[in-house]
Amino acid sequence: MPRPTRATICHLLLASCLPLFLPGLFPAECLSAEPADVSFARVQQILKNQCVKCHGPLGPEGSLDLSTPAAILNGGDSGAAVSRGNLEDSPLWQRVAAHEMPPEAPLDEESRQVLQAWIETGAPGLPEKVTPEDLIHWSFRSLQATDQLIPSAAEASNVAAENPIDHFLLPGLKSSGLDFSPQADSATLLRRVSLMLTGIPPTLDEQERFLNNSDADVYDQIVEYYLASPHYGERWGKFWLDAAGYADSNGYFNADTPRPLAWKYRDYVVDAFNDDKPFDQFIREQIAGDELSGYRPDAEVTPEMIEQLTATHYLRNAQDGTDSSDGNPDELRTDRYSAIEGTMQNVSTSLLGLTIQCARCHSHKFEPISQEEYYQFQSFFYPAFNVEKWQKPATRIVEAALPAELAVWETEKNEREMRLATLEEDLRTWSRENRPQGEMLFEDDFTTSNLDLKLRWSDTAPGDDVPGSSLPIKIGEPSEVPAFYSNDAGHLVIDASQAAGQDSWNSTQQMFEWAPAEIGEWIQVSFDLVDNRLNSESPAALRIGYGIALHDYNDNSSISGGNVVFEGGVPGGGAAMYYDLPGGDSVPMDRIGDREYAPGHNYGVRLTRTGEDKVELQHLVDGVPEGRTQHLKPNQLPAGGFGFVYYQGRSFIVDNVRIERTPLYSDDFDIAWKAYHEEDQKRRDEIDTLRQELTDHLTTKPGRIAWVADYSGDAPDVPLLVRGGHSDPGELVEPAPFSILCDSDENGELPEFKITPPHADSTGRRTAWANWVTRENSRPAALMARVQMNRLWQHYFGTGIVSTPDNLGYSGDRPTHPGLLEFLASYFVEHGWSRKDVHRLVLHSRLFKQSSQHNEDAYTVDPDNKLYWKFPRQRLNAEGVRDAMLYVAGSLDTATGGPSVMTSRDDAGVTVVDETTPGAHRRSLYLYQRRTQIPDMLQVFDAPKIVFNCTRRNVSTTPLQSLSLMNSDFIRRRAAELAARLDDDNSTTEQVEQVFQIVYARRPSADETTLLSGFLEQQKSFYEEEANPARHAWIDCCQMLLASSEFLYIQ
Amino acid sequence: MPNPFLSYEQLTRRAFLGSSATCIGGLALSQLLQQPTYANSVSAEGLPNETFFPPKAKNMICLFQHGGPSQMDLFDYKPELNKWHGKPYPGGDLEIHFDKQAGNVLGAPYQFARHGECGMELSELLPHTSGIVDDITLIRSMQTESVDHESALRLIHTGKFLAGMPVMGSWVTYALGSSNENLPSYVVLTDPGGLPVDGERNWSSEWLPAVYQGTPFRSGPSVVSNLKTPEGIPLAARSQQLELLRKLNERHLKQDPFNTELTARLQNFETAAKMQLAVPEVLDISKETKETHELYGLDHPDTAEYGKRCLLARRLIERGVRFVQLFLSGQPWDTHSKNAETLKGLCARTDKPSAALVIDLKRRGLLDDTIVMWGGEFGRLPVSQGTDGRDHNRHAFSLWFAGGGFKSGYAHGATDDFGYSAVENNVNVHDLHATLFSLFGINHHRLTLPHEGREVGLTDAEVTGAKVMRELLA
Repeated sequence: MPRPTRATICHLLLASCLPLFLPGLFPAECLSAEPADVSFARVQQILKNQCVKCHGPLGPEGSLDLSTPAAILNGGDSGAAVSRGNLEDSPLWQRVAAHEMPPEAPLDEESRQVLQAWIETGAPGLPEKVTPEDLIHWSFRSLQATDQLIPSAAEASNVAAENPIDHFLLPGLKSSGLDFSPQADSATLLRRVSLMLTGIPPTLDEQERFLNNSDADVYDQIVEYYLASPHYGERWGKFWLDAAGYADSNGYFNADTPRPLAWKYRDYVVDAFNDDKPFDQFIREQIAGDELSGYRPDAEVTPEMIEQLTATHYLRNAQDGTDSSDGNPDELRTDRYSAIEGTMQNVSTSLLGLTIQCARCHSHKFEPISQEEYYQFQSFFYPAFNVEKWQKPATRIVEAALPAELAVWETEKNEREMRLATLEEDLRTWSRENRPQGEMLFEDDFTTSNLDLKLRWSDTAPGDDVPGSSLPIKIGEPSEVPAFYSNDAGHLVIDASQAAGQDSWNSTQQMFEWAPAEIGEWIQVSFDLVDNRLNSESPAALRIGYGIALHDYNDNSSISGGNVVFEGGVPGGGAAMYYDLPGGDSVPMDRIGDREYAPGHNYGVRLTRTGEDKVELQHLVDGVPEGRTQHLKPNQLPAGGFGFVYYQGRSFIVDNVRIERTPLYSDDFDIAWKAYHEEDQKRRDEIDTLRQELTDHLTTKPGRIAWVADYSGDAPDVPLLVRGGHSDPGELVEPAPFSILCDSDENGELPEFKITPPHADSTGRRTAWANWVTRENSRPAALMARVQMNRLWQHYFGTGIVSTPDNLGYSGDRPTHPGLLEFLASYFVEHGWSRKDVHRLVLHSRLFKQSSQHNEDAYTVDPDNKLYWKFPRQRLNAEGVRDAMLYVAGSLDTATGGPSVMTSRDDAGVTVVDETTPGAHRRSLYLYQRRTQIPDMLQVFDAPKIVFNCTRRNVSTTPLQSLSLMNSDFIRRRAAELAARLDDDNSTTEQVEQVFQIVYARRPSADETTLLSGFLEQQKSFYEEEANPARHAWIDCCQMLLASSEFLYIQ
Repeated sequence: MPNPFLSYEQLTRRAFLGSSATCIGGLALSQLLQQPTYANSVSAEGLPNETFFPPKAKNMICLFQHGGPSQMDLFDYKPELNKWHGKPYPGGDLEIHFDKQAGNVLGAPYQFARHGECGMELSELLPHTSGIVDDITLIRSMQTESVDHESALRLIHTGKFLAGMPVMGSWVTYALGSSNENLPSYVVLTDPGGLPVDGERNWSSEWLPAVYQGTPFRSGPSVVSNLKTPEGIPLAARSQQLELLRKLNERHLKQDPFNTELTARLQNFETAAKMQLAVPEVLDISKETKETHELYGLDHPDTAEYGKRCLLARRLIERGVRFVQLFLSGQPWDTHSKNAETLKGLCARTDKPSAALVIDLKRRGLLDDTIVMWGGEFGRLPVSQGTDGRDHNRHAFSLWFAGGGFKSGYAHGATDDFGYSAVENNVNVHDLHATLFSLFGINHHRLTLPHEGREVGLTDAEVTGAKVMRELLA
């Protein structure tokens, strides 16, 4: 067959301008299986495009709603819109025929003919009569009880079905002369259940246990075994995490900064699924766990409290760039509103299957949600996301640790800190006694009183006429800022937390000659960097600033030059260097040195006269020159002081400032220094290790939870935004749930919506909404159950009963099996919102247990398997492909929970999981979920980029996947590991048997054994040069098994 | 080496449709034929009264100029600027991004002259572009909606300023596929200096299938991920491996012979093997003539790097790649300081190769169905930032197009006397998208998919009011 060219495709695209398809806008009347009449479908299309804009579900003009069959029959102010077979009595026709409607442009001739013919033939497709319930969109109605639903389906099927799910499918199959396929064989079923529930295939042990088992209830055992597996929550929790928009990074801006505590929410979700936490409770905790938990800052923290506080992270899964946003006030406001709007979108699509974002700017055209309702909905979340009193993500943290846990952590912290202090003190003492010295020109170990500091240090450089700052440094006065004082530990504190100028400094009182007189002579200054922050709570200083030859802050002196300032800690290592700071005549120079600045080390600069007109500057780390050097002329280095440089917020602690010059006998000095330096380095290495341990320990402080809580108990003003403009507030709104989902009381009145603040610091709005959405027998709870069951179905069978899982509203698709969805939703609620009960129901159906094999007869009738005559074969999802490969290779690290495993970019810019990273072989769920950087392996198999959230994934089949399966480092490594699992002492036949059971969870056929044996024999010949040709052949074979369709699909 | 794959004849028609639906070809075809949701929400009757033309363009090359090239220094001559240089801006309030650093009017130091038969006025910084003015449409009245780089980039690439929408290249390849299945349909030639601002988002398919993502051809040893057969596997061994895989997959296919996904998976291994050969071939420019090398400036250090990528763009298009995009690293046109000096250097790097691409496409008969686009995400202000820079401006910027059905020798629209705001025949980004789509024969109202509960396309015309700018079309 010739392949059509792309030009044909272009033509087809143009052809698509013709109305090829009949609309799917209108859902079927909830439970009627009656197919809509073709001409009616055409009519609905016309009405939708021409009329529903004004005559829609929300506030219809003339109270006429033309969006559903029931509504058309119900009519408006002028009665039913259509009278069957009677044009004269059909107001709809009258207005159209008179060209009154649509008001802008009359209907074209063809459309009018369609409309006319439809009415004249009796308006097929309209229901017989309309009850008030009929006027409600199917998904917005209350649920019917399961016992009301089953008998009708069973009667219709005329067959005995043990499982209610089959009841709903058999009528469709039977009416097409079909039936379910025979049950799949037990090996296939075992693999199917294992992959479906846990995302990984059955182990050899599990195969042994269940396949050689003649118990009557062995299938029950299989189902219960995998439902109880901790891996169950890892697969099914991930579906919820996708729907909830979970990510480990903030998104929004390109920087996509990390969310270091988000993983706690991921663990909460996985645990909730494993524990089968009732879904209604699961939702209440995520919406308002902070208010429900009873947590107060002074209360004793309990494990339940921690769980509920963690759950609220659900509301901060949306992108939030406000940690790094800048710009003018309008831009800031937009960034903030974007975070709350993203949260609203996540909540509405993941819970309610409703698209609401259109209503941000204008009342929704197709859904019954007004713009006012959108902002009423926003006002539930606004107290926690108050745009006028914004909290950045990094500050939205609660410290709620279990007392015992915290005590253990603190003890350990104190121990480490004390050990570190001891080691450092030892080093200081030892150094003081053993350090070979140059000719010491100045030395301060800061053990004298603060009063004495003023004798050696000043806010003004020697010879200068003004202080080195417009806000002079306070010497020896700890309570003042910017400050310069010695603390109790005998260290010098540079407190710049309030330093105003970018370029202020202090200085020694003493003046030094910075240009040595003779060639070969040197002068150096050095200091110990004790810490780059004031305490463990304060931010680390990004730069460590110090300067030499300080003499002329205001450029008034006749002596030019000097004022050479170093900024230690610039990215890339070493120190940035400036000459003649400050002022317009200052010169930025290249960097000096290469090493990073880290606490616990000694830094400084040595200046050596290397030529008649040349002074070389070397960077000193722990007394040793290193890295890039710089040069100045002697006359650029006038006599002056040494001092530390203050920048905004860059505070640090130093010790042992020493200024020395060449000693008399410099050869002896070099030898002595070498010996000293060896021991010094050993001690410092020990200190570095301990310091790193302490830093790591600090990050594990228990109880830090990225939560959501109201800003205060005072209800803030929440404005409607005119046309959605973030800087265009309109009328204020009050919290109220979507009216379309509100159940009226027995008098037909909407009950009052009560909000009770739980305590003085919270408004209680989210609790009120959480209770509303989960209230028993309510409409919102019914919708929520339908949405969840639709997604569950989708994860089992590839497509939801409604194919638009994030939209069950008017504009969403219609359910293919409305009764079944209704039944599942009711069953879910009646079983205490237990997912595992629904799983049991599905797993025990004939639908699930049937074979996925082709059947020519059934295929002819229903090629797309819409009636479910076979189990729909599905490819493993992205995580499944990676996890299953690791698992059969015997390398999967099954550790659960905890911080995410970092991913990285390789040299080519591809996001990978470095094989040497700790946890590199953990399940994909535990990999760092950065929004912008999906590991390549997962991305080609359609792992979503989470921008908002994801309720449905693409399943693509691309050559890029083939390339990955043929050539990626990942699959080659797994193939090698798998080959190594095979027992070398066994015969090839036995090995083939073994590898089939590991990879496919079944025995090979004789044919397959021959195929593989033949391959292996021939493949060996290509590797004769290698030490172990058979192993190479096996690796190549294993790779192809992992790349094969049978491995990649749930059969 | 034996062909270890099914021949096309072995595939049923149904399987064929499925495979073209899922391999590198256009998914849209199968969407059209198989998924009624595609046309759900808009019918012919519902469309605004727009005429659509048969397609003129098949391919597009976008030379993207990150940072916001200064329109008044390059494309849009404003004598008033120099008259008012150094004086307070007389034209009223300006929208300023870095509002504390705004200065007085900043003159445009470079000379403008008229060129070509059309007499288009361009700056002396663009001598080579000046040579192709009779082949281009210059739009001087572009406007956008944000003065933030990332937002404006997303707007021009995806039609929305929030992240998360597929880029234009993804939409076009989604609709039209590629006519060479051995190369990706959408190729991005990144700057060896690094990724542009907003990184991969500039070519992300987001929620469209990953196969419609721009495939970056990197300048290092690994041009495309997993393109090289792993070291240590001899050619014959690899061939046997693929043969084994084919047998395993064919065996498996027997259980479900009409499964289009499985059939496509089988076929894709063949395509992948061909890609391994096709990519190195397209990158090998040694067989191009000396004259061609010189045309693109490969013989000069200023232009060699950018020129090579322009030449590669032509080679990719020649081989059937649908959409090629060139990016610069960072955002070099973002001239917050030293505006005049920076522009000079950038033009020296990009002007000659950009013009060479148009010339080369034209003489090879490729320009008629290839759109070339040159431009950035927004423009710049008539006043200074600091002493010698220009800040962002969303109210006016200039773009040029060549080929693919755009007019030749045509300058569209005009700005006010200072080039601050477009005042005549304004074009917004959505109109531009609708126009580009129309040149590909794509109805922008139609090419939508259900996403987050609604039908979404590049232009989202119902919300944005995007319309085809017929004035731009030849």
